[in-house]
Amino acid sequence: MRNFTFLSAGLLAATAWAQPVAAQVEFEEFDLKNGLHVILHEDHSTPIVAVTVMYHVGSKNENPERTGMAHFFEHLLFEGSEHIARGEFDGYVEGAGGVLNANTTQDRTFYYELLPSNQLELGLWLESERMLHARVDGEGIETQREVVKEEKRQRYDNQPYGQMMPTVFETAYTEHPYQWTPIGSLDHLNAAAYEEFMDFYKTFYVPNNAVLSIAGDIDPKAAKKLIKAYFQDIPRGTKDIPRPDITEPIRTTEVRDTVYGKDALPMIVQAYPVPAQGTPDYYAVEMLNQVLSGGESSRLNRRVVDEEQLALFCGAFNFGLEDPGLTFAYALASMGVDPQNVEAAMNEEVEKMRNEVISERELQKLKNQMEAQLIRSQRSMASIAESLANYHVYFGDANLINTEIERYLAVTPDDIRTAAETYYAPEKRVTLYFLQSPNPESAEQ
Amino acid sequence: MNRFTSLRSSLAVGLLAIASVLGAQIDRSQAPAAGPAPKISIGSYDMTELDNGLTLIVVENHRLPLVSWSLTLDTDPVFEGRKAGYVDFAGNLMTTGTATRTKSEIDEAVDFIGARLSTGPTGAFATSLSKHTDALLEVFADVILHPSYPEAELEKARKQALSGLQANTTDPGSISSNMRAKVLFGDKHPYGEVETEESIEAIAREDLVYYHQTYFRPNVAYLVVVGDITAEEAQTKVQQHFGAWERAAVENRYQPVPARPEGNQVCFADLPGAVQSVVQLTHVVDLKPGHPDAIAASVMNSILGGGAFSGRLMQNLREDKAFTYGARSSLSTDPVMGRFTAFANVRNEVTDSAVVEFLHEIKRMASEPVDAASLETTLNYMTGSFARSLEQPETVARFALNTARYELPEDYYATYLEKLNAVTAEDVQRMAEKYLRPDNMYITVVGNRDEVAEGLVRFDSDGEIAFYDPFGNPARALDPAPEGMTAADVFNLYYTARGGAEKLEALKGVRMEGNMEPAPGMAFSLVRETIYGKATRQEVSMMGAPVMSEVVTTQAGQTTSQGATETMEADQLREAQQDLYPAYLLHLDELGLSAELVGIDGAKSSPELVVELTGATGTTELRFDLMTSLLVSETSQREGPMGNVAVTVKYAEYEAVKGIQFPMVAEQSAGGQTMPMRFEKIELNPKLDATLFEVN
Repeated sequence: MRNFTFLSAGLLAATAWAQPVAAQVEFEEFDLKNGLHVILHEDHSTPIVAVTVMYHVGSKNENPERTGMAHFFEHLLFEGSEHIARGEFDGYVEGAGGVLNANTTQDRTFYYELLPSNQLELGLWLESERMLHARVDGEGIETQREVVKEEKRQRYDNQPYGQMMPTVFETAYTEHPYQWTPIGSLDHLNAAAYEEFMDFYKTFYVPNNAVLSIAGDIDPKAAKKLIKAYFQDIPRGTKDIPRPDITEPIRTTEVRDTVYGKDALPMIVQAYPVPAQGTPDYYAVEMLNQVLSGGESSRLNRRVVDEEQLALFCGAFNFGLEDPGLTFAYALASMGVDPQNVEAAMNEEVEKMRNEVISERELQKLKNQMEAQLIRSQRSMASIAESLANYHVYFGDANLINTEIERYLAVTPDDIRTAAETYYAPEKRVTLYFLQSPNPESAEQ
Repeated sequence: MNRFTSLRSSLAVGLLAIASVLGAQIDRSQAPAAGPAPKISIGSYDMTELDNGLTLIVVENHRLPLVSWSLTLDTDPVFEGRKAGYVDFAGNLMTTGTATRTKSEIDEAVDFIGARLSTGPTGAFATSLSKHTDALLEVFADVILHPSYPEAELEKARKQALSGLQANTTDPGSISSNMRAKVLFGDKHPYGEVETEESIEAIAREDLVYYHQTYFRPNVAYLVVVGDITAEEAQTKVQQHFGAWERAAVENRYQPVPARPEGNQVCFADLPGAVQSVVQLTHVVDLKPGHPDAIAASVMNSILGGGAFSGRLMQNLREDKAFTYGARSSLSTDPVMGRFTAFANVRNEVTDSAVVEFLHEIKRMASEPVDAASLETTLNYMTGSFARSLEQPETVARFALNTARYELPEDYYATYLEKLNAVTAEDVQRMAEKYLRPDNMYITVVGNRDEVAEGLVRFDSDGEIAFYDPFGNPARALDPAPEGMTAADVFNLYYTARGGAEKLEALKGVRMEGNMEPAPGMAFSLVRETIYGKATRQEVSMMGAPVMSEVVTTQAGQTTSQGATETMEADQLREAQQDLYPAYLLHLDELGLSAELVGIDGAKSSPELVVELTGATGTTELRFDLMTSLLVSETSQREGPMGNVAVTVKYAEYEAVKGIQFPMVAEQSAGGQTMPMRFEKIELNPKLDATLFEVN
């Protein structure tokens, strides 16, 4: 028998629509004795379940001599465990009708399985095996080292403007570990010894550094019992978990640089240091970016792309992080356009934000956009499980999934102007031009 | 287990879970058993037709207060010919103005309510919170029914598209899909069209108006509404906004059937400096949506590499060989012509080995039956994918649309899982035999020609790789050089054309000043000073500040870039010392070089003699104009920090300086991008300060 019995289309699952129309996400949470935090969200609309584990470790927790370790570990932890042979991890999930993957940021590593709801226990078994005794061996390390090198080539080295992100972070941070990005250094990974991998696992992959977040077609009572059975005997970690306590100094002079590569059109990237996510000013900065870059009618797009046709695209986005992050303002100059003209137009739009408050209508527009964004983020069980985990890991308050919107809506036009004045000051930013390389060889004949 | 099927699935799972926990300690050494299978309900939809022939499909779903509107035209693809790109323009520019709204009014109306709106050549899409439905629908209907195609907006889009083409010449993904489209379908088929500068320039406003008036008609359109709205409400609103839309006959178009290659054909697009190869093995497949083979064929593709991580390509090329970050395959059904593609990005040195593994896995699908466990895993995976897709209400709408559009049996999706799970190992093998053509494929590779291409010759049935430019056009091969002519003859002609070898060899030195602009307003200047037989020095500066410099003497050489100085290695120095000769091509032995005349390139507007110069640091291709004998270009392949890099310098506008011809323009390009340099001043036998040539 397969995983699902099938009923004809005529039989409508009327129960699926029983929940009231609301953005309120109900959930319950608890801690196991070993420190594992568990969050459960019940929704029977579709017979599926998202089983996710978020470890509070990202590239910022890495030893500066071993960058790329957190992302590398994400690869390694698909290799198997004491009870799961090499290469079987995927087979279990896919053979059960599910999918699985993971991703790593500067701040956290996130694993998930999306399964038919009758396979909840399989998901718990796999994730508990990964936490309790993952397979960390030479063969896996060697294979994944090569795979990660190919990932780096595919996503950075062989991509137009692929060096943009790493270069911006490297330039914008001088002290804080955000100066390197999760892909890290291949030389560092080559240099790492087996003991270092084991040490990383024992330090960070412990229940007291993790959140198990589950959303979907579950019975919370039964799920709780299963969770205890699979997770409560996993020993609590005994090592100190390194968390960088480094404050990036405030820049007082703009840093400008030019990076030469092979891509034809000039790319202009500016990075403004912004406050850590969750702080009051952070919400003002988010709204500010929305004014600059939210939609076709946003200020940067309308002026730089549409009215003056200086660029193929132009916008801004917030790279919100646990420690103070960056806002990126960027543009890809159109053919034959001087990048300095593009930058001047971008700077003028930012200056306006620093000097003038937005209108009531613009404020209403922002609020409408934020409301729509919030509701769209609840379209799948996978994204609800991830949001709940994020809110707990970063702010210790999973209920922000319901209440964070109030923080956005509380932002006033003057808060936005003040945030622009404070954080979008020219002397605090980094401005990089990515240009096609000149070469002395061009004079040869 | 039958008695559970009438219970809610969660309850069933719960009962089972409690039983297992209470029953015994968990056994970690085994994967836990699954609970009883939950029900899968596809859900229902409502379909009606307006008087003008517009088909309306509504799927109600009130979980979230969202409504989406999706218009699909069921029209045949249109062949664009010399105006390739106009169909996309006609679709995309619908949001840039209507009879009553400007672009900025449309943008503002959509953004103000936090909605999304997009249009394309075969449809349109919009979504918002349900409370903003009326405001959104008004704009949505307006852009579909009354686009005005303002000339100014067309010019903006044209400028953007031209810049986009420029940007794409270094994007391996774009190059690969251009080449694939051209080789698979040829340039007489709508699927084989690739936009070019000329085709974008040729698009006129009338083309867009014509396209819209011809194809945007209710009788070929489906409007799918999904979300927090009732069928009745949707019908009323659609009648109100689209009821007056006029029907008109839309003709079907004949599509030529593309030819398959005889044997396997390797197709290569050079991307100098690439550190990976974008590899695809591909051929067309005549498989229409809803064909009786479609489900079994998709199972076959899934086992090979269709999405699951446990697919054979992924397991072999990534998990076993570590050639790539990911290897997959796709087999698409299409009402005109589908295709099969197996693909991966792999590092340069394993490109040929990767093709071997691809061919092995593709052939194995037909040569041996799939084992029971793999088949089971795949069927479970596909069953799960189907069930998971139902989380989004748009899925039910898509089923309804496909059923109507492709005239599928009414119960096609209701019985999909039954049909899927009836697929056997024999079926899979039969599908591979019928639909995979491992001996009639195009093997397309975008990558580093110097490092990769030669290793691929053995996969080509006629032993000749076909080379393509970034837009999928053939890169021409060379014609043979005139009988008896040698490279030395070409060099003698060249120096004679410049004013004579004797005159050149008598020069004591030269000083050249030039400018280059990677973008307007970003000016670099270059000064180059040479004392022949002794030393040469060049410096690039920006607004007076040095960016890089190079000094070469008979003894040593060094480069300084952004403050860092590097001493040249022996081979590099020897190459740089060419510049110490006024006519270095007459001194090849001293410089450790050899030259070969390889042929004539007749594809150029003026034919060119091609000479290959080989030395310790690599090869350089020199091209001389057949008529004037002057040097037209030189392309050097050199090892850089990111792998092999090709640098081409084109020379133009030769002018005489005291009787000796010098090119006044040297245009450098790397990675398909160009940067012109113009010499402002050339001084012969100048007085030079010898201290400038010191090497530390």
